[in-house]
Amino acid sequence: MSEFASSVVKTYNETASSSLTLSDLSATTKAIVRAGQGTDAAAGLGAPFGTSRVVDGTLVVGVRPTEWVVLGPAEAVWAFTDAIDNTGHVSKIDFTHSRALFRLTGEDAPKVMEKICSIDWADAMMPDSAVVSASVAKVSCDIIRNDVDGTRSYFIMSDRSSAQYLFDAILDAGEEFKLGVTRA
Amino acid sequence: MMLVPCPNCGPRNASDLRYVGESHSRPNPNEVTPQEWRTYLYMQDNPAGLLKETWYCRSGCRQYFTALRNTSTNEFTNHPLPGNKTGAVDPSFHYVSESKSDTNDGASS
Ligand SMILES: [Zn+2]
Repeated sequence: MSEFASSVVKTYNETASSSLTLSDLSATTKAIVRAGQGTDAAAGLGAPFGTSRVVDGTLVVGVRPTEWVVLGPAEAVWAFTDAIDNTGHVSKIDFTHSRALFRLTGEDAPKVMEKICSIDWADAMMPDSAVVSASVAKVSCDIIRNDVDGTRSYFIMSDRSSAQYLFDAILDAGEEFKLGVTRA
Repeated sequence: MMLVPCPNCGPRNASDLRYVGESHSRPNPNEVTPQEWRTYLYMQDNPAGLLKETWYCRSGCRQYFTALRNTSTNEFTNHPLPGNKTGAVDPSFHYVSESKSDTNDGASS
């Protein structure tokens, strides 16, 4: 399967010097895995609801009690999902093209999120690798904390049809913190 | 803001959930009279006090769950595991916000 390289948002001027950045990573391969409770697949995925973990170059995200998202380079995602046991109520779907994926990075990232989402972003509630689903600027999103070299960073995943609006809403919320756009 | 305690996600803003309605057991449609079926569909108890109701966590875990809410104070006193829409309330789960614990009548168990 080849990479889908198109961006879901229009072109923005890159901001080279900002310490708070937003980037569009929607081209990232995304697989959805559903596995019923008690299946070998559910046990093997190993990231319970609300958590994520890095496995074999992919990020495995527990987005629902019986549903996972696998993110990463195409080859790694398909190698990982192909190896998942199919016994029982298990399904795997490529939904790369149906979801948008953004990354918000910087120490002020929680302050931006506080303005548009009612989740508590404190370390105690949302430590690194934690996952939460909530509405962000009224768009249902899955949010994964995935710090980069010790700096706060969130993946924000939404339906692709809301992507442009959501990107602009995050930029608007981040304006007072000098949020800039960078290339993925 | 009203906090609704989802058993999977924890306390969430009510706008992240959908209120489904009072939780009643569904009668067998092949055995009830039209009047009983209509009562199940449309009639509400609407008490000023504890009410067992169904919520859908639409922005979070996408699960249905039953919660016990005091309609006068919006206090949630406890709720069972998701999927158990009409069953007995799980007494092992007890959710009380600290600020209002004195208004909880604890009539759930
Ligand atoms: Zn929930």
